[in-house]
Amino acid sequence: MIRYVLKRLLFMIPTILITSFLIYFAMDLAGGDPVNTILPENATTEQKEALREEMGLNDPFLIRYARYMGGLVTGDMGESYVTGIDVFDRFMQCLPMTLALGGTALILACIISVPLGIYTALNQNTWKDTTGMVFALFGVSMPNFWLGLMLMLVFAVNLNWLPSQGADGPKYLVLPAVTVGLGLAALITRTTRSAMLDVIRADYMTTAKAKGASRRRVIYYHGLKNAMIPIVTAIGMQFSLVMTGSALAEVVFSWPGIGRLVFESIDKRDIPTVTGSIILCCILMSIINLVVDLIYAFLDPRIKAQYSNKG
Amino acid sequence: MSEKNLEKTTAAAVEQERDHILDIKDLVVHFETDDGCVCAINGLNLSVRREKTLGLVGETGAGKTTTALSILNLVPSPPGVIKGGSIVLDGKDVLQMSEKELEHMRGNEVAMIFQDPMTALNPVMTVGEQIAESVMLHENLSQKDAFERAKEMLKMVGIAESRAYDYPHQFSGGMRQRVVIAIALACRPHFLIADEPTTALDVTIQAQVLDLMKELIDNNHMSMLLITHDLGVVAEVCDDVAVMYAGRIVEVGTTDEVFNDTRHPYTEGLFDSLPNLKEQGEELVPIKGMMPDPMHLPEGCTFAPRCPYATEACTQSVPELRHVNGSHYVACHAYDDPSFRLRRNANG
Repeated sequence: MIRYVLKRLLFMIPTILITSFLIYFAMDLAGGDPVNTILPENATTEQKEALREEMGLNDPFLIRYARYMGGLVTGDMGESYVTGIDVFDRFMQCLPMTLALGGTALILACIISVPLGIYTALNQNTWKDTTGMVFALFGVSMPNFWLGLMLMLVFAVNLNWLPSQGADGPKYLVLPAVTVGLGLAALITRTTRSAMLDVIRADYMTTAKAKGASRRRVIYYHGLKNAMIPIVTAIGMQFSLVMTGSALAEVVFSWPGIGRLVFESIDKRDIPTVTGSIILCCILMSIINLVVDLIYAFLDPRIKAQYSNKG
Repeated sequence: MSEKNLEKTTAAAVEQERDHILDIKDLVVHFETDDGCVCAINGLNLSVRREKTLGLVGETGAGKTTTALSILNLVPSPPGVIKGGSIVLDGKDVLQMSEKELEHMRGNEVAMIFQDPMTALNPVMTVGEQIAESVMLHENLSQKDAFERAKEMLKMVGIAESRAYDYPHQFSGGMRQRVVIAIALACRPHFLIADEPTTALDVTIQAQVLDLMKELIDNNHMSMLLITHDLGVVAEVCDDVAVMYAGRIVEVGTTDEVFNDTRHPYTEGLFDSLPNLKEQGEELVPIKGMMPDPMHLPEGCTFAPRCPYATEACTQSVPELRHVNGSHYVACHAYDDPSFRLRRNANG
């Protein structure tokens, strides 16, 4: 098991190498001269050229990349062109906010979607199932930012129950969390439903019923335990997406998380912040995926056996 | 009929009922799908004598498993619907039981062994937990005591106690079937339903598992409904046989009666399609045609389209079970002619 974890951690190195190269390359292609960002507008051509030379911007791409990676290995991700703040520090400042938003959204999503998925599966092909699935389809197809704006319009502007912008306490978390959470709930509902449908027909469910277990016990004890594997996969994937992909909701609600940081940095051509943030997101995703894989081992003894065999 | 005679008949019926642990009468089970109605069981009559084993024989799709599930009232619904009939188990109609009574009955009074041990066990629970669950559901035992019982059960079916902590994927097929048997017997039920318990196993393991079941049944004075398509298994284990075709019983009697005085053309067909050790080299005679589509059952006798003896009369009405002798019954129109004999019987 420990060997498995170590192996997975080692696998993160090539992943990071590849992502960092792609990001660095993409940012290079995107163009934009950081010197214009850093220097005041009335700076002379000589001043600009001097700064370019000083920052090594005139060097070939690969050399700049190698220099960046050298810094990365020693834990130095550079400083923001705009604010001059260390990229890693800035990322770590935003991370708790995104964790709070993502975590709340995910918990909300699970509370709605797992019971709903089970319920629709148990009532397959009835109007209850259809209603649930229409809700899920609605949730999947609704653009996040639109839902956010609509919620804001209703609950912040018209009803004036909740604040629309910022992050000044739990109250501020409600609308963005609902926005992100509903989209997630839709996807997890569908996964739960199909996982439960697979499980309901399994022979061991009949065995459990034939033992005299109540319907409740059969479904929640025998069924859910088996259905948890695909459900946890879906939740894990969603979580890593939320961590890095709730940018739209963060922008709409001015939530000071990673998504908004990246969004604004791209807007300002703050290349070190963008590159660094995305590499850190990538590491974060790898770790979440690893944790999800480890959860499997606790859910399914067959997977655990596999991990131990393959080391 | 005089009053005295009537009394006698009722008394005889009551007597018979006491003698039977299970009495299925006129059972009809349909699966109502979008494409139409699948008539799985169409007026089935079946009885199992106390402390005896009845073999239920028939081709795949004859409705054997549906019969078994009906006894536990576990026909998957929807689409399955029990349309009518009664299933009297130890004096109580299963189809009239409340959910609570059913839960009490399942596993405790009646237990079931399933066909495929590879899928019948929950993959994420240890086998010990799965046996103990059965005990805990029906007996007032602590988790620890239930687990101890589980270990005893494992030992009884020939598996080391220490393996109670293992998961199903760590066992072979035959071992898993032993676990399934241990689960079924954990609460010492009176009646056991075994749905093709050896079909999914290697031939060498089949005999082992059968012997084990036979031994356990005899030791615990249990009755059993053994579902199989293997006439060899029937000959070895069963006291009585019922032959099932397209959701009805076509012939029933003691194993001796049905094997040595075969009456139904379908039963004859089953025997003819078995290799015969005495006449090696002889070609097997399969029953021609296929089992009818249960969505479109033929009029009259459902076996008529495949039956070598079929006449006009066979397509007119469904034959009723008629008494042959002893406990032997057959459902075939050919016996309207008292001189009718199957080829098998005529030859020898």
